[in-house]
Amino acid sequence: MDFFKKSLDPIVALAIIAVLDIFLFLIVGAWTVGGGETMIAGLFVKSLVGAKEMNRIPFWHLVFKPTWAYWKIYISLGMGFGALVSAILSKEFYWRVPKHLSEWVMITIGGLLMGVGIRLSFVCNVSTFLGLTPEMNLGGYLAVSGLVIGAWVGTSVYKKLLEA
Amino acid sequence: MITVYGQCVAAFVFGTTVGVLVQRSRWCNTAALRDAMLFKSYRNTKALLVAMMILTVGFTAMISIGNGNPMRFDVGINQFIGLFLFGIGMVFAGACTVSSWVKTGEGNIGALWALLFLIVGLFLSSLVWSFSYWPLAGPSMTGRANAAGLQLGFADALTLQRDTGLPAIVFGVIQAGALYALYRRILRRERETLAMEGQEAAISVKKPALPTVGRAAPVANPAPTARDGLSTLGD
Repeated sequence: MDFFKKSLDPIVALAIIAVLDIFLFLIVGAWTVGGGETMIAGLFVKSLVGAKEMNRIPFWHLVFKPTWAYWKIYISLGMGFGALVSAILSKEFYWRVPKHLSEWVMITIGGLLMGVGIRLSFVCNVSTFLGLTPEMNLGGYLAVSGLVIGAWVGTSVYKKLLEA
Repeated sequence: MITVYGQCVAAFVFGTTVGVLVQRSRWCNTAALRDAMLFKSYRNTKALLVAMMILTVGFTAMISIGNGNPMRFDVGINQFIGLFLFGIGMVFAGACTVSSWVKTGEGNIGALWALLFLIVGLFLSSLVWSFSYWPLAGPSMTGRANAAGLQLGFADALTLQRDTGLPAIVFGVIQAGALYALYRRILRRERETLAMEGQEAAISVKKPALPTVGRAAPVANPAPTARDGLSTLGD
């Protein structure tokens, strides 16, 4: 298919996603990723330690009860699946492994900070820019401010590391 | 009323479409902020702004006619702190929540590693919450300001509509207008940069050509310049 032979303008891609997101907003709610990832974390740990141990942690019965019947999980799984299919059809699937130890360290710290940040704020970058802020939620403006300042600090540190 | 099964199917179809579109367009939220700050490159930033404009008008129009499912939870200082940490993390990891799933689907082990540690971070935070019970969550949210809990309460387009009597779309159009002004500013900056580069190119053309003998052969794959942007998890 021709679609998989050339790259797509990100403005076109995001405009299509935004229109589809309005329909999703009507059916269940706006596009979000952090909630699904939290539930995946709960389900993953529950499968390791069992339901009894999991219930001893207040968060997992007061805030998030691990269940597969949570729609946000399927957005995340769908994104991975869609990208896999698209990468295969466009012959862009291949294993990429970070070469340097420093990259692994940066990715590990970055992943941990993203996880802590999502849980602390109840939102991720997607729900900040494409959920809360378009809904004109006060939390969206606070989150955008935090995210932009955080990205600026992260970029400054990253730049210094590159220069070093 | 859609069933739970229907919700999950709709979410999967939406997610799959997003995965295909993001994979084909190479859009990344991290690059939208980082490349704009570091290289004044706005390819991803413009796409983000266009999506925000469409969604602001779309969501507030739906809210105006009593439809849609807005997110409902109290907001507070935790939103700022949480996303501040998230912002640092996404630049370090070189991927946001979307691009980590998309790049994992493309076979990027670094992105999968970022996802694994994101899940570790989420779980560790759930343990901390189980001791501190902060920020307020679930039934303890009241929707009102709470100084002790550093919470500001709840406010969105729906509460604006209720409190002012004006349809939410009015506020949506104002916000979309502000986003459009920012978009125009970026376009103007890009045109100025292009014009400057054009002048520099014209000056270099006027210079006498160097003799070809002894000149280095053109490099087949020139090294990326700063303006090409940083690689993001092996892009």
